[in-house]
Amino acid sequence: MTETASDPVLPRQVLSGIRVIDLTRTVAGEFCTKIFADFGAEVIKVERPGTGSLTRWEGPFPDDVIDPERSALFLHLNTNKRSIALDFENSAGREVLLDLTASADLVVESFRPRSLERHGLGPSELQEVNPRVSVTRISNFGQTGPYRDHEATSIVLEAFGGPMNATGMKERPPQRKPGHLALYTVGRFAAVASMGNLMWARRTGKGAMADVAAAEVLLSGADRRAAYLLTGAYSGENAPRGHRSVHRGSATFTGPFPCRDGFVMIYVTTAAFWDRLIDLIHDGDEDFRSYFRGRQTLDTPEEWSRFMDGLLGWLARHDKVEIMTEAEARRIPVTAILDVGEVFHHEHYRERGSFVSAEHPRAGSLDYPGAPWRMRDGWALGSTAPLLGADTGDILDELGVPQQRRAVLRAEGVI
Amino acid sequence: MTDAVSLPLSGVRVIDLTVVWSGPGGTALLGDLGAEVIRVEDVHRSSRNISSKISRETAGKFRYHQSTFADGDPGDRPYDRCAIFNWHARNKLSVTMSLGEEAGKEAFLDLVAVSDLVIENNSPGVMEKLGLDYQTLAARNDRIVVVRMPPLGMSGPLSSYLGYGPNFNSLVGIAAMDGYEGEDPTTAGENYHMDEAAPGGVAFAAMAALWDREHTGRGQMIEFAQAENLLLEMGEYILDYQVNDRVPPIRGTSDPLLLQGVLATRDEDRWVVVSIRDGTEWKAVARIIGRDDLAFDDWPSRSAELLGAVEAWTRTQDAATVMSVLQAEGLPASEVMSETRLLADPHLESRQWFRTRSHPAIGTHRYLGHPWRVDAYDLAWGRPVPGFGEDNAYVYRDLLGYSEERYQELIASGMVGTRQFG
Repeated sequence: MTETASDPVLPRQVLSGIRVIDLTRTVAGEFCTKIFADFGAEVIKVERPGTGSLTRWEGPFPDDVIDPERSALFLHLNTNKRSIALDFENSAGREVLLDLTASADLVVESFRPRSLERHGLGPSELQEVNPRVSVTRISNFGQTGPYRDHEATSIVLEAFGGPMNATGMKERPPQRKPGHLALYTVGRFAAVASMGNLMWARRTGKGAMADVAAAEVLLSGADRRAAYLLTGAYSGENAPRGHRSVHRGSATFTGPFPCRDGFVMIYVTTAAFWDRLIDLIHDGDEDFRSYFRGRQTLDTPEEWSRFMDGLLGWLARHDKVEIMTEAEARRIPVTAILDVGEVFHHEHYRERGSFVSAEHPRAGSLDYPGAPWRMRDGWALGSTAPLLGADTGDILDELGVPQQRRAVLRAEGVI
Repeated sequence: MTDAVSLPLSGVRVIDLTVVWSGPGGTALLGDLGAEVIRVEDVHRSSRNISSKISRETAGKFRYHQSTFADGDPGDRPYDRCAIFNWHARNKLSVTMSLGEEAGKEAFLDLVAVSDLVIENNSPGVMEKLGLDYQTLAARNDRIVVVRMPPLGMSGPLSSYLGYGPNFNSLVGIAAMDGYEGEDPTTAGENYHMDEAAPGGVAFAAMAALWDREHTGRGQMIEFAQAENLLLEMGEYILDYQVNDRVPPIRGTSDPLLLQGVLATRDEDRWVVVSIRDGTEWKAVARIIGRDDLAFDDWPSRSAELLGAVEAWTRTQDAATVMSVLQAEGLPASEVMSETRLLADPHLESRQWFRTRSHPAIGTHRYLGHPWRVDAYDLAWGRPVPGFGEDNAYVYRDLLGYSEERYQELIASGMVGTRQFG
């Protein structure tokens, strides 16, 4: 381990002193190294001169005008990191990367399998210059096996690894989760694998290589995929699509429903919750209340439509936040479906300081998501995402690369 | 911690008070890395998400629910046989200890004294009511790391709110962008991303605290607010909202930068996904489907037309063929895999991902592999499931050093046992 050289006055954080070389360019890898950076590790992003990380080009951008220094995805995923613009496919650039590796604890990469080897930068070459360094390799399907070289996007990984087949409505095509959620999951597991290897290196003095296959991460998921898959192994049954809470045995009533000003999420899973829900929505209709209270199942279409009419009618007369507040007062799991703007302004998160403001030289002042968990000497927003190559000079200084060699590197477009 | 090193967390002892999904998923990862994870359970309370009273007959009322039990049979120990618990139970130990009873509380504090981590995901306030708040545990062992997992945190106006994963998905902006493209959120399917996001975060947080303890010699308490852990996955939308004053639309399976969709095949309810990243890839697809006439120009406004042309071809193929034909040309595609298809998949077979394991209460079955693998060591693959109370003797006699006489008294009192009545 090396002491953080960037700024000696920075307060100590739990991962201070860990040095990470970040060769990744997409969501999973950058999220993995962000977790290290946000908890105090020194993370050096190695970016291709001129273009940099792929997330710089993905956006969303202000007014949808492409600007690699103002991509929201890049700004979010690269807080607290430093950037060196370095072409390591060039042999002089490769030497610089090996110099960086010599003092690193961890290298994270997400190129296609065998790419690093082609540049003479495979785990064995990296560990030759530094036996303590661990290497985390993120890929679609893993470093081995018949699908090793398969191409994938997020939806392809979700189709293979995620719970897509059981997601969506009956008689309609499978659905997926929104946003980049699947890729974030992969990145988080890559961080766990990396931290495991750092613990290993601390004890044994030797680094290790983690093969993080996105597909296998998703297959292990607590979003029911793992439970569905073990069910398949236990009894050969596939989880059906379009059934609510299919894995539960007791009577349940769950899902999103419309109300006066939007939507609410109802998650009634016990007899007690059910009775409280009936009490909440019966609206003085004692017949309705006594008919439905205590019921474990609704058996006929007539019963269902009577219940749904009562529920939807009541919801249509109330606003989502009012419904959530009323439900909470009666201890029923019902919440308002809030959009990102409503979340951003919500008093709960504001009171807790869940967003933290920071200034970026090109993107200006913005509120970033804060600590994912709170611990002593934990999360901090020390610096916003780096401009492309912002730390090239400083990092070469720290490596002691002479000015003469630097001029050659610059002339060849390596830095 | 002991000196023996065979895995990164060998010698680390974890007391696991978590239930349901997100907490147990996190402790499973610590067990994979070699920690000794001891589930503290209660003979009188359901701790495995399974009623002890369920039978083959009652389970059979809900066909899929019955299937979650090994061989479709809850047997006389349903809590040992259900996939809803067993998916995360690998390598764990099980001891019974009633925290609401004086003897149980005493044993728990004795266990804290010889452990490194306590992880719990009870409702806020439960640990305090039991007289087991952080200060009490730290007084017994100042090196203990306590991880608490309140859904919305331990402070703030919503901190006491009741809910499950989907409820909290709705409070971080995920549910509002979930559903079929252009429709409303009521069209969303099951989404348990809240549970998906916590395990890795909890495992990382726990290891970060252990790492820190090497410097400071002290443990600490971690407040793992599961909703805030999820907000981190919404970062690009949170920034976009501030910059462009807009919120993400419901996109279904579409993507702003990719021409992609879920397409039917010749077989009923068997689907493929195809994802096309640029004009060059479209040309390759167009050649395969015999539609060289279709250009890629202005694809976002023509996605239905272009995907329709691809689907006209996929409808004549089986899913595996679509995947292999497109992948052979370097094009991203996959079958939407069902569980039974995954269990027969040649790639997973080649990587030996599934493993066959046995347990006396369950029999012999295939189990899921680990989320990642390492060259220097194999992640732990011990006992697939701890039978309820299976490790009582180890914990009370060996770890806590209780006399045989005292141990027998605890059994006689009913607190220590191997059957659950919840």
